[in-house]
Amino acid sequence: MSVARIAAQIRAGELSPREAVESYLERIEAHSDLNAYISVRAEEALAEADSAPPGPLHGVPVAVKDVIDVAGTRTTAASKVLADAPPATRDAATVAGLKAAGAIVLGKLNLHEFAFGALTSSAYFGPARNPWDPARTCGGSSGGSGAAAAADLCAGNLGTDTGGSIRIPSALCGVTGLRPTIGLVPNHGLIPVSWTFDTIGPLGRSAEDCSLLLEAIAPSFRPTKTGDRPRVGSVTHLLQKADPAVGATVEAATRELNARPVDAQVLEHASVIQQLNMLPEAAAAHLPWLRTKLADYGADVRARLLAGLSLPVTAYPTGLRARRWLWDQVRPLFERYDILTAPTMPMVAPRLDAIPADYRLVLMPFNSPWSCLGLPAVSVPCGFVDGLPVGMVLVGRRGEDAAVLQAAQRFQEATDWHERRPEPVSAVPSA
Amino acid sequence: MPSESSSLDFLRELAVRQGIQPEDADLEGVRGFLDTILPAVAELELLVPKETETEI
Repeated sequence: MSVARIAAQIRAGELSPREAVESYLERIEAHSDLNAYISVRAEEALAEADSAPPGPLHGVPVAVKDVIDVAGTRTTAASKVLADAPPATRDAATVAGLKAAGAIVLGKLNLHEFAFGALTSSAYFGPARNPWDPARTCGGSSGGSGAAAAADLCAGNLGTDTGGSIRIPSALCGVTGLRPTIGLVPNHGLIPVSWTFDTIGPLGRSAEDCSLLLEAIAPSFRPTKTGDRPRVGSVTHLLQKADPAVGATVEAATRELNARPVDAQVLEHASVIQQLNMLPEAAAAHLPWLRTKLADYGADVRARLLAGLSLPVTAYPTGLRARRWLWDQVRPLFERYDILTAPTMPMVAPRLDAIPADYRLVLMPFNSPWSCLGLPAVSVPCGFVDGLPVGMVLVGRRGEDAAVLQAAQRFQEATDWHERRPEPVSAVPSA
Repeated sequence: MPSESSSLDFLRELAVRQGIQPEDADLEGVRGFLDTILPAVAELELLVPKETETEI
């Protein structure tokens, strides 16, 4: 059930916070095979349901990615490195925001180790599975977040996005997820990947739900509505670069937005630019653990962190300057268009036993541009290929998160892709 | 530049000086990455005008 609907039912007295939490705890247990959760706060959540403060999310059961601190619960980052870490002593700023709005935190969601990859395939905690086909990846790094939103294992949740980690699982799991403007959401209490790219953001059933969650975690965010239809540009080289069936599905969706073709080939530089800053920052953030627990990392994450240590020092300022240069190139597009759109991912979810060798390289051109520029980007479901969901990203100017969410909400008022649920999961009675 | 800055011995020394003891397999992966990205960095250095600032 959606955040908006549960909140409304609780306000109307049709459902109690305890009943809502109990219902979700049953669903989490029934779908434990998806491995969406790393830890479930069953007793704490039930107790908190009985004393939830009034607020816009009063009694709404939510969850957070397991790189975000919840007081009294271990933050593992899905890594053996932190598997025995002591419980967090205080809530992350975003968790405090959710609780202040009345939400109940059900537990901590699975992810790619240290949020540094796009598969959610932790060797230590096991892979999270895609509710549309459990043999397939749910993407990442916020893969547990995508799976939990798709399988209705929480009303909504928080993920994090450095280079696509909210948008990728949103697309592959058929849910809605927002990477907010960089700096809009406080990162206090988050295990970092990369300080200049990281942002916490919401995933849920709809843009409306994401907006409700964002209000709780971003003190300065106010949803606004205008009557003007946004001018939308469709980034043509990304449509052409995607798998043909995925590209055709997104192109059909862009017609709903009256999008005009846009040439933005310059964005192709973003993948390299992002790595010049992200990898050294990640290496710096992990230095103490690299020195003492190197063998506890998964091979893929260890390789990326060591790569960050080995780049020449000139690479970092080149990356910073290139981000400014990239924005100089893209700014004119945002004078002509309010929203740019493209496929969120070039493919549907691959099978866990057949991940393409170039998976990460192939998806970066679709996600790095908006990360490099710090722009708000929301992925919305826009169709299916071979029974698997396809996502379309809507990107706006910095600080115009409300406009991006409103454009997404308009699309969802005109379509019902976001209402589709995976068959095996929808067969289970919901709250 | 790639071959000189990404020899295994160089990469190992760089890691050890930072207190890290990587395996050869890790360093092979790093070398492969550097061999790919360093030419792209060189291209980027030429592309971005000198007067470009870092604030975005």
